[in-house]
Amino acid sequence: MWWKSLSVVLIVYTILAGLLPPLKPGITRVAPESAHSGQVIRLQAYGYNSKYTGSDAKDIRFWLEYDSLHALAAQELRVLSDTCLEAVFTLPVRMPGTGQNAYLNAIIDHPKDGVSLLPGALELVQGDSAERVGADWGIGLVQDLHIIKDFTFPYRNVIYESIRNTYFHVPMWFALMFLFVASVINSVRYLRNGELEYDRRAAAYAETGLLFGVLGLVTGMLWANYAWGKPWSNDIKQLMTAVALLVYFAYFILRASFDEPEKGARLAAVYNVFAFASLVPLLYIIPRMFASLHPGATGNPAFGSQDLDNTMRLVFYPAILGWSLLGFWIAGLRIRYQRLEDKVLQIEV
Amino acid sequence: MKRFLTIILFMAIYLPGVMAQGNRDFMRETGKIYVVVGVILLIFVGIVAYLVRIERKLTKLEHQLKEEKQ
Repeated sequence: MWWKSLSVVLIVYTILAGLLPPLKPGITRVAPESAHSGQVIRLQAYGYNSKYTGSDAKDIRFWLEYDSLHALAAQELRVLSDTCLEAVFTLPVRMPGTGQNAYLNAIIDHPKDGVSLLPGALELVQGDSAERVGADWGIGLVQDLHIIKDFTFPYRNVIYESIRNTYFHVPMWFALMFLFVASVINSVRYLRNGELEYDRRAAAYAETGLLFGVLGLVTGMLWANYAWGKPWSNDIKQLMTAVALLVYFAYFILRASFDEPEKGARLAAVYNVFAFASLVPLLYIIPRMFASLHPGATGNPAFGSQDLDNTMRLVFYPAILGWSLLGFWIAGLRIRYQRLEDKVLQIEV
Repeated sequence: MKRFLTIILFMAIYLPGVMAQGNRDFMRETGKIYVVVGVILLIFVGIVAYLVRIERKLTKLEHQLKEEKQ
């Protein structure tokens, strides 16, 4: 069928378009990582995917930003290599705000690479000497940034290249959702007219959905190990997802525990409706009510404009469709198998 | 199915530890790109495992049919 070919095409596209484009240039770290106010420091910034030699040092701009208003501009800027910049900063004696220390953002604007930012790059500690260099914070320095439009994915600290997991880990959950919806629709149909075919479909969709759920959980654990530090940190999203999957595991135990298939099918169908009703709060509502490491946890839907830019959307949406169609394809195989088995068993009886 | 699930879980939990041995952390090199490779592999292995399971059930059914005909 055409949609099976479409799923293959979309998944191939997802793998190619998800893996081949580079990340936008970023700053991995600056050295030194902390300084006293009133100091003159020579700061080195290390880039990722950057091509600093690609343009003249005088066209590159480098700031240390205190907040959206206050910033410092680099005085002497030298390009040491494609991935290393060196600049001199004169740190003012006083901080613009109150507090004994502050974390300054490093911002580099390159005519060809575009702008890159490292939040909290340099820790600035209030020094004790009151009279030294007389530099002051610049107001509204960070402007006229170069925004480069090309097919690249955003650079994010800690995550780096693993941002591409968005096209593989996340669609698992979309596929799960579509399959479980199909499952509950068929369960309701079965309850309304008692045809065994609908029960077969409901069971097959739930089973395939569960497969995608397990894959989503396991891939999430692998990703979490490198983004959050450990595979299982008892995060609310992880816990509630595990509960949701267990609810669906119980659906199959319930089905299997009846000798008469008709009776088991009816009870399983009722259970499926309740399982689906619990799925939505478990996956989408409760995790948003507590602090979570998972994106989209703090009130806003996951993959708002903060997590997903327009380039990523070009791969992400086809990925969802591709993986979901693959899920329905596999579920279709499962349904056809069950139909056959039921036929053979009826001959035997 | 259980065995495959165990294998997948094992891969997700213990593989990072095995990979991290030695001075260099293989998975964290080159911008953590191998995390993506690992995720794709896990999905591939998981889906193939499920297909193998369906195939085994089919084989069993075929044998049953054959015995009936004889």
